Amino acid sequence: MRALNSILRRNSSSILIRAITKHSRSSFCTDNVDGLSNSRVKIFDRDLKRKQRDRAAWLARLDDSFISSVADNLLDRLEDCKKSFPTALCLGGSLKATRHLLRGQGGVEKLIMMDTSIDMVKSCKDAEKDMPDQNVETSFFVGDEEFLPVKESSLDLVISCLGLHWTNDLPGAMIQSRLALKPDGLFLAAILGGETLKELRIACTVAQMEREGGISPRLSPLAQVRDAGNLLTRAGFNLPGVDVDEYTVKYENALQLIEHLRAMGETNALVQRNNILKRETALATAAVYQSMFGAEDGTIPATFQVIFMTGWKEHPSQPKAKSRGSATVSFQDLQKQFGSEN
Amino acid sequence: MVKLSKMMMKNIEGIGKTLSEILVCPLTKQPLRYCEKTGSLISDEIGVSFPVVDGIPCLVPKDGKILEDEGSSISGGLASSSDTKEVKE
Repeated sequence: MRALNSILRRNSSSILIRAITKHSRSSFCTDNVDGLSNSRVKIFDRDLKRKQRDRAAWLARLDDSFISSVADNLLDRLEDCKKSFPTALCLGGSLKATRHLLRGQGGVEKLIMMDTSIDMVKSCKDAEKDMPDQNVETSFFVGDEEFLPVKESSLDLVISCLGLHWTNDLPGAMIQSRLALKPDGLFLAAILGGETLKELRIACTVAQMEREGGISPRLSPLAQVRDAGNLLTRAGFNLPGVDVDEYTVKYENALQLIEHLRAMGETNALVQRNNILKRETALATAAVYQSMFGAEDGTIPATFQVIFMTGWKEHPSQPKAKSRGSATVSFQDLQKQFGSEN
Repeated sequence: MVKLSKMMMKNIEGIGKTLSEILVCPLTKQPLRYCEKTGSLISDEIGVSFPVVDGIPCLVPKDGKILEDEGSSISGGLASSSDTKEVKE
């Protein structure tokens, strides 16, 4: 009753509330129309990416060997940890494959799956009953990696399999993941690296130069390997680890490659993209791809560089570098200590 | 008792225990309140409600709806002081 009273009373001051809501509306909107937070660089169109992922939810196949091997490789890292991770959050990207391949690795009891696309989350939820490992309690929600709606220190593990390279603010997303982790929690991510689709990049450039006399960004900029380590340190993770794997996928033709990219939801989502792709240019790109990179058996290879990142949230039990000047033995004496054996 | 168990069911159907424990508002990182009437999650501080679709909470900032006049506690001290003035009048 009291609440109702306050609601009624608040009606009289609705102008004030409206003024405040107007302010809060601009601050929560991801679209910076009014330029309030101009400092944030906007490279990717997150709304478009969401739609592309909606489409990918319908196109994706569970037997996608590239996705499966990346997810398998990522989850394999959990085997190397002595620790178990009861509560895990799986950020966007290839959710289904991650769920499918999580066969009790890391002792995950509760798996929370998140994506920006509701269709993707729904299809994961529908596929839940067909999953091999039924001991895991799963929950689902729709969220944005850039605005992670997870309570501080509530997770043991954050996995992201091929999703984070579409975030505008990758350090921010990683910092939020770190905050969501419990102390000694693990952050495990696979992102596509700069060498990815280098053949397509070249083919697009050559074909566009030839047909249109200029180029427009067709492929998104991706993180380089050296950036990955910096990102982990910048996000405040301890014991950062980065390693790279290159996968070469063979396709019958360039159009099949594009179909695969669509099914993965990895198509162009740059803000500055060119909305028009002429049929002629598209076909020219396919032809250039075939002639420049085509193998003898008629297939075309496409390179995918995957950067795997691991980082731990700080905890007193983790090894730490000693402070400067705390050494008691000189480096010169090392020779005396160990050198005599040689 | 029946009512209580029904409510429990609804809550579990609503978003589930695990999620209700870990989910917070994506913008303020403050706890969310589950509104049974509208079936949505409400962030009181900024007065925004996030929908729950088929048991899946949608917490992307763009999915949120601003609560115009009711259910928001955004109007903190300033508004309540002006309220009391008006009531006195």
